[in-house]
Amino acid sequence: MTEDDIEVMQKIFNPGSVAVIGATASSDRIGYNLLDSLIYGGYKGKIYPVHPKLKEILGLPVYPSTLDIPERVDLALIALNQRDTVDVLEHCGKLGIKGAVIVAGGFRETGDEGRALEKRLVEITKEYGLKVVGPNTLGIMNLEAGLNATFYPVSLKKGNVSLISQSGGIGFSIIQKCSDEGVGLNKFVGVGNRTVLEISDCLEFLAGDSGTKVIGVFLEGVENARRLVQVAGKVAHRKPVVIYKVGQSNEINEATLTHTGSMAGPYKLFRDIFNQYGVLLAGSVPELVASCKALSLCRLPAGGGLGLFTYTAGPTIVALDRLAGRKISIPGLAPGTVRRIKAILGENLPVVLKNPIDTGGLGTRPGTYGLLVDAALADPNFDLLVTFCCPHKNWPNPTRELIAAHQKSHKPVLTCYISTVKGVEEDREALQQAGIPLYCSPDEAAWGAAALIHYSRRGGALHGNA
Amino acid sequence: METRRIIENVRKSGRTFLTEVESKELLAVRGIPVVSCRVARDEEETVRMAHECGFPVVLKVNSPYIIHKSEHKGVFLNLGGEQSVREAFRSIRRNCAAVDPEASVTVQPMIKKGVEVLIGVIADRQFGPVVAFGLGGVFTEVLKDVVFRMAPVSTEEAEKMVYQIRGNRLLRGYRGYPAVDTLSLQKIITGISQLAVEVEDIEEMDLNPVVVFPRGAMVLDARIKLC
Repeated sequence: MTEDDIEVMQKIFNPGSVAVIGATASSDRIGYNLLDSLIYGGYKGKIYPVHPKLKEILGLPVYPSTLDIPERVDLALIALNQRDTVDVLEHCGKLGIKGAVIVAGGFRETGDEGRALEKRLVEITKEYGLKVVGPNTLGIMNLEAGLNATFYPVSLKKGNVSLISQSGGIGFSIIQKCSDEGVGLNKFVGVGNRTVLEISDCLEFLAGDSGTKVIGVFLEGVENARRLVQVAGKVAHRKPVVIYKVGQSNEINEATLTHTGSMAGPYKLFRDIFNQYGVLLAGSVPELVASCKALSLCRLPAGGGLGLFTYTAGPTIVALDRLAGRKISIPGLAPGTVRRIKAILGENLPVVLKNPIDTGGLGTRPGTYGLLVDAALADPNFDLLVTFCCPHKNWPNPTRELIAAHQKSHKPVLTCYISTVKGVEEDREALQQAGIPLYCSPDEAAWGAAALIHYSRRGGALHGNA
Repeated sequence: METRRIIENVRKSGRTFLTEVESKELLAVRGIPVVSCRVARDEEETVRMAHECGFPVVLKVNSPYIIHKSEHKGVFLNLGGEQSVREAFRSIRRNCAAVDPEASVTVQPMIKKGVEVLIGVIADRQFGPVVAFGLGGVFTEVLKDVVFRMAPVSTEEAEKMVYQIRGNRLLRGYRGYPAVDTLSLQKIITGISQLAVEVEDIEEMDLNPVVVFPRGAMVLDARIKLC
């Protein structure tokens, strides 16, 4: 991507004005919902709905054609069928519009006619220097600019995680999970057919985007995986990239004649090569979101020594299971930490002190939880700490104690409250405000810790990216 | 230059598969250690070469039409003397007559036991040249213990590959077996990855087995397919 390309993308995500071409008054249509999303999302720039006959939609004056719009818009959202889309795109090009989002499907995925249309689309973009997101996409968002240019009117929390998705449906699944988890979003790109703007282009753009701290990617597959992994690897030196790739079934290519060829299951290849380039892979939407969440809220640990603190053993065992095979060190306790914990809980403990630190029933007493977390965080063997608890009707949650302990230490703290997502809303808000990600399952807490350790190992510029 | 010449010769004869002799010649040009392999066209020549090579020897069928030599019963190992060489030569001729009645054989020294690994290349549609490393010989297909890297592969990545396979204990020494020379494996991996990047018409390449010893490693068999 050239600097000019980046500039066009900046305009696409921060448009001063937007045209909705194919806006309609009927709420079951895409054109209506693109408009509704812009309004509902709080977009502050000028909106120009375009429809040949209608006069007003959702309180906005309608323009009969793109030619009637009194200014050159920065972004055209096109909600027409595939044939009309291509014609309108050419009009946009002639008017000097540089950015467009094309929602319609019916291009190369449908056969010869669609392929021919897509070819023409590419020619138009080249001729007029247009950048297109899609076709066949949910759209884009930039929460920083109050821009929801998708056909799903939603209200989302603003933050520093940006997402690139090859699927609208899973893109939405990730967005919703982020909402549940209190993860603030910055930008979203549904790349669709990737006819003009590729995933690698979006990665390069987000790498230089000041609002984006972490990039999450949902990937089905691309033709030029070589460029993708090279770009992702390069970007991952500047800011964390987490990729969830589907297609894990290891179907093999029976047509190959050598052993090497027949053993290269597509996912195995993908996994080894993305690891080679240091990009973190997630195996599911929850893992992707848990990883992005930790990377969004925490600073990176100085090393990989992971401490676990609990008063109930099971969750830590599950967490350790999730970490198995990732070469994560679970160091023992320093002698000073054992002495410190015994000074708090008494000499004759009914439990053996080791890592995970399991204090049993003694750990639930108010007042002691914070002291114990202080002790664990002070252990020189630990670079980060995950704490576990089970919220209870009659026992206060250790939220304030965790925040206080975290403020005294430079080490990242992650916490797992075994609960429903709704049950700990206030705690989540307070903890995450203070930079402590709260998870409702030990699996997710483990994934979060693993993501921090992965990127702490890459070192360099990433550590300054707090 | 030498690499190009070997490939052009194969192209001229209308083939995309390099024979073992051609594959090893190409590897040797790149400084990769291969077990020498001389072509003999008849029984007497075979016997003479076996004597020159020193017993025990290995006889393999050599034909542009035969890719999987064992499947055609075209490989005889550990031949201790002249009589067994003669018998093996006749067997190969008989077994392979249906495919190539004029097949010659290669005479190679029988190499002492070591750990057998596989080093390979595939030109992947999406990633381009990719290098594979794994357990070789009979374990290749059974265990599928292979790891991949996109070429070119750095020395550090080659080292990681060697230790990433599940069976890496076989390389580090176990139950009285000594640790093997993983450095020489890394050299072959990086050499092969460089070859894969430079020679764009390699579609697949198998060095299998590569035998690695406490000191040194050698390519025992190789096949290369062009696009």
